[in-house]
Amino acid sequence: MPADFGSVLIQLLSGLSRAMMLFLVSCGLSLIFGVMNILNFAHATLWLVAGYLTYTLFQFFTAIFGDSGLLLIPAIILATGAMFALGWVLERVLIRRMYAREVPEQLLLTFALILIFSDSIKLIWGVENRRIFLPIEPIEMLDSYVNPYIFVIIAVGCGVAAGLWWFLHRTRYGKIVRAAVYNRDMVSALGIRISTIFAGVFALGVGTAALSAGVFLPIMPIGLGIDMDLIIQCFAVVVIGGFGSILGTFVASLIVGVVYAFSILIWPNGALAIIFLILVVVVIWRPWGLFGTEMRY
Amino acid sequence: MTSSFNKNKYKGLITDLYHRVGLSGPVAVVLGLCFLLLPLLPGEFPVIVGVEILILGLFAMSFNLIYGYMGQISFGHAAYFGLGAYGTALLFRAFQGGTGEIGYFDFFLSLLVAIPVSAVGALLVGFFCVRLTGVYFAIFSLAFGELIFYVVFSWYSFTGGDNGVQGLLPPPFFQNTVNYYYFTLTIVAVAIALLWRITRSPFGYTLRMLRDNQQRASFLGINVRMCMLMNFVIAGSFAGVAGALWGPFQRSVSPGLLGWVESGLPVFMTLIGGAGFFAGPMVGSVVYTILSSYVTMFTVYWPLTIGFIILILVLFVPGGLLFLIDSRIVNLRNRRQSDKDLGSVSYGGQGENQ
Repeated sequence: MPADFGSVLIQLLSGLSRAMMLFLVSCGLSLIFGVMNILNFAHATLWLVAGYLTYTLFQFFTAIFGDSGLLLIPAIILATGAMFALGWVLERVLIRRMYAREVPEQLLLTFALILIFSDSIKLIWGVENRRIFLPIEPIEMLDSYVNPYIFVIIAVGCGVAAGLWWFLHRTRYGKIVRAAVYNRDMVSALGIRISTIFAGVFALGVGTAALSAGVFLPIMPIGLGIDMDLIIQCFAVVVIGGFGSILGTFVASLIVGVVYAFSILIWPNGALAIIFLILVVVVIWRPWGLFGTEMRY
Repeated sequence: MTSSFNKNKYKGLITDLYHRVGLSGPVAVVLGLCFLLLPLLPGEFPVIVGVEILILGLFAMSFNLIYGYMGQISFGHAAYFGLGAYGTALLFRAFQGGTGEIGYFDFFLSLLVAIPVSAVGALLVGFFCVRLTGVYFAIFSLAFGELIFYVVFSWYSFTGGDNGVQGLLPPPFFQNTVNYYYFTLTIVAVAIALLWRITRSPFGYTLRMLRDNQQRASFLGINVRMCMLMNFVIAGSFAGVAGALWGPFQRSVSPGLLGWVESGLPVFMTLIGGAGFFAGPMVGSVVYTILSSYVTMFTVYWPLTIGFIILILVLFVPGGLLFLIDSRIVNLRNRRQSDKDLGSVSYGGQGENQ
């Protein structure tokens, strides 16, 4: 293995971009669990649906307005909006009925959603992998070539993280959501319409996942089955970071993303094993995660 | 048991069984008769489906030991099913050598090896899992299950990677589907009898206590983690037995047996049949396997179909099919009872394992 600076840089950048994707998907997962105590198994499958939707919208726009990479932006915005709406509807129609149920039944419902959505993808888009090719020239850094799009991804990830932090800590609705993480009953006793908050949080979680799916299309092909790999890594992220903590999720995403990128270099088949090893160590040391509170555990 | 229990009301074998052991008794009798007579149906297909029902049913029942009795959900249970299948398959290949044939003794030996293999796997995973409960237990078992899947999937030199192990032709007597069916039926029946014994033992009642109140159990001096670990290993071993039967039946094993899709099967079956009942997972296996065998004849979009079926079941039939039947019976009896003596209190609870 050549241990030169350039290849380390490339791995670091790909690890960071991967960390951004993990963060965007798992912050929704973490918030949904934190606020509603629902573990959404279908989160990554919804992410996958968003990816396909963005792909189709992009193809549609390029067919109308001509070939331009910038058309990806309206496609991502539209797809994110559509998935936000889908998340809202899902919460109102299905998830809402599960709050009073046992955990396994909730998991089973989201498991059923995985089957339904992934088979719908097969029905609509077929089984081929999809990706978008953007005409971007790689730039040279330290004797190696880097796709500058990676910096766009890292910027989007950090931007969303900052925005989410601002929303949760500086706005009225964000404060309500954080209060709901600690005590739902108290929040609703204060006269706040908790059911709207629930729907909003679910839709927000699905929306951020949808955004990441669109942003990642140009560097990563999507296909059936990758949602399961993703959801398991997201579970690892959320458990390491602590449920309901955005900062924890961000730090855990960075750890998992970067470690994954480097362990692929050293031991290709064992990358996931190393992540699970970290997970095991963290859970034994702090079962409620790095930034979680002991109370919720 | 309901408080309307009355010895004079015994009418026949089925009612008697219902009074003694709950709904699982009559269900076991009916299912047992059906299984015994199944090969009378024309054609080979029903028998093949029957073997599948039995193996997956045992798999689901072993899962319910963790879910229904201990109150934790294992989302990586297929790992032990798969480990058992691989243990059997690899020893099977070793015994076959180059000839492609295997003696009866070697065949039984290779089936038996599944038990220690999956027990050791369950012990290693369980050691970490039992430190946690609830959602964390589910995530941990899923993560470890996937870990074992990746190990089997990528260890080409030993497990054959994604090719799996092929050519597991059982000895001549068991090559006949009907013979293999009755062989499976015997082993599954013995395993179920053992499971029944376990759930009725003090250990089984300790598990129910762990489900209902762990803190209280530990106050009473029960070593909670040890009990959970023991149960995890027992459940894993029974899943291994089911896995062992799978390889010679399908003539091959593949890493998919350890994957998350396979782990979903016992969960579906248990919830379809009813987790609160000993026979629930087997009923679920009957419903699920028959549906999947016959629906796949009509549509390739089977996951979509089963997805909607599960959605409807979760939303409208909580507690499973057996709970639906049982609550009807309890209602009926309450009505009869209240005709005779008004004001008597009787109840039927979902949480009770019968």
